[in-house]
Amino acid sequence: MARNSDLDHARDVRSTFTDRYVHAVTRTIPEKQRDDVAAELRAAIADQLDARVDAGELPESAERAVLEELGDPDRLAAGYADRPLYLIGPRLYLEWKRLLVLLLWIVVPLAAFGIALGQTLAGAGIGEIIASTLGGAISVALHLAFWTTLVFAVIERSDDARASAKAVAWSVDRLPPESPYTGARFVDMMTSIVFLTVAAGALVWDQLLGLVYLEGHWMSFLSPDLWPWWAGGLLVVMAIEAVLQVVVYVNQRWTIPLAVFNAVLNVVVAISAIWLLSQQMLLNPEFWMTVIPEADAENVFGILSVITGFGIAGVAVWDTIDTFLKARRSR
Amino acid sequence: MNDTGEPDAAEPDAAEHGTHLQELRRGTVVLACLRLLADPGYGYGLLEQLQSLGFDTDANTLYPLLRRLEKQGHLTSEWNTDEARPRKFYRTSPEGLRLARALTDDFRAIAAAIGALPEGD
Repeated sequence: MARNSDLDHARDVRSTFTDRYVHAVTRTIPEKQRDDVAAELRAAIADQLDARVDAGELPESAERAVLEELGDPDRLAAGYADRPLYLIGPRLYLEWKRLLVLLLWIVVPLAAFGIALGQTLAGAGIGEIIASTLGGAISVALHLAFWTTLVFAVIERSDDARASAKAVAWSVDRLPPESPYTGARFVDMMTSIVFLTVAAGALVWDQLLGLVYLEGHWMSFLSPDLWPWWAGGLLVVMAIEAVLQVVVYVNQRWTIPLAVFNAVLNVVVAISAIWLLSQQMLLNPEFWMTVIPEADAENVFGILSVITGFGIAGVAVWDTIDTFLKARRSR
Repeated sequence: MNDTGEPDAAEPDAAEHGTHLQELRRGTVVLACLRLLADPGYGYGLLEQLQSLGFDTDANTLYPLLRRLEKQGHLTSEWNTDEARPRKFYRTSPEGLRLARALTDDFRAIAAAIGALPEGD
């Protein structure tokens, strides 16, 4: 034993390039094959070295040349261990990309929305809200990208998965639809107009008679002070929305100018509503104070206003983006 | 091999056509190994044989390739310790010989198909 380790030690001290090279190759290949590969590689290097020395090269430069010809030991080790030299290969790349894009589209906006809402409810300042929403969205995106990629890289390296998964076989059924959903069909127009009419009716009813019956009399849901100017303005905007839907239907599709117009309408409605909300002029305090129990009423009403505000902003942003996507798709 | 080609034109093309030539040659080395190793041989000896026969092969692709073919059962191996330098000898298995025949047939079919193509000059 002692002698053996002495020998190892002596070899360590004047370890040759070849020893170091063989060690570098074999340290990352499975233990079972390690000795076998090392012995074979040593013999092969010695053979090549002999050939060069026989041809008149100096032993030292010949050794260097042989090893440099064999190249990066990690590359050679990957060849022996049959490991891919890429993170995600062509077989899985498309699935990886599709999943990642889908996840980013769904999770990042939801997370950003949630963080902004949470920060606002916690009473953070506007700067802090923007900073933590941006920071949160970026870190969520990074996490999604990292973990998705990690899972796919592991699948790429697992023998079972490599053998079984010949990727998901593609069939004609997976072709993107020939005429993409344009949002400009008759059904779309009618749905929008029916919805707008119902909403307008509810608004007028709420303002004139009250929508909820509580404690012996009818109460309005929205602040009664909105009548007539604010409520009237909203009715006008709703009428314009209805006309816009008809124009889109007649036009057969959303165009970028129509989408811009829709965005302007959304911005006008959302900003007015949120401003009214911040002035405590949108919701009817009388109704809410009745519904919410006692002591916490002020507080809960504040939270409710924030949530309503975020709801309004969220719907406006969603509708705007959705419309632009439809316009782009049906170009 | 290249007796009819114009060497002057072929030389500068080599670099430019490198990846295509590489793609075309990939796989021929497997076929050559399976056929040559019907007589047992070891890594460096086989490398020299291949190079002298005109199969352009690098040591760092050949050695892992031999292991892969062995793992797939197309080659068998045995350590020869009779000489001063122990060497791992590979030999084509019956299954490897069947594969070699199939590859050779396919290669001939491809060569015939290419021969039937219009010259295009």
